[in-house]
Amino acid sequence: MRRLTKLSAVAAVAALALAGCGSSDSGGSDGGNKPAASKDVCKTAKGDGPKIGLAYDVGGRGDQSFNDSAYVGLKKAVEEFDATCVEGEAADGEAESAREDRLRNFAENGATTIIGVGFAYSDSVNKVAPDFPDVHFGVIDGFDPDKDVNKNVAYLGFAEEQGSFLVGVAAAEKSKSGTIGFVGGVHNDLIKKFEAGYTAGAKAAKPDIKVEVAYIQESDLKGFGDPAGGKAAATGEFDKGADVVYHAAGGSGSGVFDAAVDAGDGKWAIGVDSDQYLTATAAQKPHILTSMLKRVDTATYDFVKSVNDDKALTSYQVYDLKADGVGYATSGGFVDDIASDIDGYKAKIISGEIKVPTTP
Amino acid sequence: MSTSTTTKNASPGLVQRLTKNWFYLTLVGIAVVSLVRIVTDTNDLDSAGTLRAAIISTCPILMAALGGLWAERAGVVNIGLEGQMILGTWGAAFFTYHYGPWVGILGAALLGMIGGLLHAVATVTFGVDHIVSGVAINLIGAGAATYLAEAVFSDYEGGGPRQLIGLDPPTIITKTPVISEAALDLADKHWFFVSDVASVVAALTTNISTLTFIIFGLVVASAWILWRTSFGLRLRSCGENPQAAETLGVNVYLYKYIAVLVSGALAGIGGGFLALVSSSGYGAGQTGGRGYIGLAAMIFGNWRPGGLLMGALTFGYTDSLRLRDTDAVHALLLLVALALLLIAALRAVRGQINGAIVMGVAGALVLAWFLLTDSVPREFTVMTPYVTTLFVLALGAQRLRMPAADGQQYRKGSAG
Repeated sequence: MRRLTKLSAVAAVAALALAGCGSSDSGGSDGGNKPAASKDVCKTAKGDGPKIGLAYDVGGRGDQSFNDSAYVGLKKAVEEFDATCVEGEAADGEAESAREDRLRNFAENGATTIIGVGFAYSDSVNKVAPDFPDVHFGVIDGFDPDKDVNKNVAYLGFAEEQGSFLVGVAAAEKSKSGTIGFVGGVHNDLIKKFEAGYTAGAKAAKPDIKVEVAYIQESDLKGFGDPAGGKAAATGEFDKGADVVYHAAGGSGSGVFDAAVDAGDGKWAIGVDSDQYLTATAAQKPHILTSMLKRVDTATYDFVKSVNDDKALTSYQVYDLKADGVGYATSGGFVDDIASDIDGYKAKIISGEIKVPTTP
Repeated sequence: MSTSTTTKNASPGLVQRLTKNWFYLTLVGIAVVSLVRIVTDTNDLDSAGTLRAAIISTCPILMAALGGLWAERAGVVNIGLEGQMILGTWGAAFFTYHYGPWVGILGAALLGMIGGLLHAVATVTFGVDHIVSGVAINLIGAGAATYLAEAVFSDYEGGGPRQLIGLDPPTIITKTPVISEAALDLADKHWFFVSDVASVVAALTTNISTLTFIIFGLVVASAWILWRTSFGLRLRSCGENPQAAETLGVNVYLYKYIAVLVSGALAGIGGGFLALVSSSGYGAGQTGGRGYIGLAAMIFGNWRPGGLLMGALTFGYTDSLRLRDTDAVHALLLLVALALLLIAALRAVRGQINGAIVMGVAGALVLAWFLLTDSVPREFTVMTPYVTTLFVLALGAQRLRMPAADGQQYRKGSAG
């Protein structure tokens, strides 16, 4: 009996391991367009320029959104400045100390420019930065949690409300029913900015438009990784008559796209952070009106460049429409007919004629 | 003696009595919901769309709960359901990508079963503490799926290290001729009772995945196997008193192994549903604790198929309702209040005065909350599914009784 069970234990482990091997073999043959994931610039870069540390948020490289965008910026910087880099990725639900250790590790290994991707790095950078005064830290979407100013930290923020305003205009002009929807991943201040800009943009284009708003979670960050929840929330809005739904829900967004597909012809979804038309499935593509672009790559590259030029950015930096930090995507060509209207609003926001609210 | 229900004479009477009770209970339930809908003017409370969303969000939880039932009825606590479910999401994605959705479901079951096998080897053969092993399974499941996804899905079309989207779903019944449209028309009239029944019919006949029916079929099949066959009786005896079962010649290890393997497979199918029907692909972390919710639904369902079905439905319904319409959550308060008061009345009739008073007071409090406010605060709506499920089932279940030898270590030959 004993021997038998040991055998079965070995078999179980072997089955898992073999499943991995066998499938990667077959995967190689029928893989279509391979994403850049398997080729990592940090593994090959051997320049003698600065050393850059990039700490990803939960999701890491390959999320086809936020983190991938940071990687694009990193890659550009590494190639341009002949730099080397190290990467690390946050795990779901990890302790605050794990983030600090990651940053400390980078600094002790000689990184002179360290970027934390995501607001969740704000606290850890605040703790680690004073110990390494010669290292420059940047936090995407970050904020200073206390009153002590860190001279070597830059908070790279985006004017998400401005980009959301533009897709709000697009949604309102494309809507035939007079109702549009918004699905947020988590009901926090950051995502409320998206909602505020979107609603303001929609009302600017069509004052009597109705906006249905839903959030997947109140404070639990798992709202960004729950496609089933995203689909349920978006389907609810389509059922209530909405014909365009904008999501700011990270990984849950694919559920929102599925809901638009299920809702049928003439129903649209709007992507977020990156141009999601490019990564959507063939079934989803005809339903993705546009995407609100958040140029994390621009911010990442900019920050490395500033350090390289000895003019390191510090304190709060806002990447807005003017700095080309946010925008909207035109892939698919669904907004070509209203592009002049959208660009009209864009010009007004840049000139300051329209002030976009940051809270709903 | 719960094990004596297989006696031939008792069984037809029991079935008749149960079906009759369930029938009346359903009628009263629909009437109450209909009343609340009209009084609060919240048509989304049981519209076909809401019910469809509720069914979709119920299925994964239901499968996890059913998996838990199989394991615990054989005396093995399986808190590794979440891990097995995660393995199931990966298996569903991998096999669907290569061989289509139905093989994908089998693949989900297979991967879940591997998780179950690990748990069985650890707990049954090596006598590891069930909780310790279960936690390990959850960690291994999450880790293995992350690793396998990165190793395999990165090079697939529509894939990445964290996801694989654009998978074909199992067959969907988009429309049943005549019935779908007639039911939807009737539901839109918002009449008392009739429209509510029509909503249910419409939800069950329009845009519904065939996998949904299979899942509800699995619940019925499990109930039948565990409570109506000698195999089921032996399996349950391993959870109640394995020593006694051993003296009667039952191979306890074998039955425990079968139970835990089935348990893992069911949890895996739940994960498969999540990856193929609830959304259209694998995504890291998409289970979001549904395995644990399933386990809780089973416990509050008193380790019974009917109970866990109620638990999963309550959770699935409230979870989808708060996602679709935050205003409807306020109407839900009235529904919960009425349900509690009804159970209180039932208790009073049966002469269980203490229970009736507790339920009555709870019902009155919720009713007061409904009458004195216009909306439920946002912070509370997210808790709705948890609170409602806890409330209804914890107060509704009279006495929770788990299998007597549940979670205990059993060694062959310990009967002496």
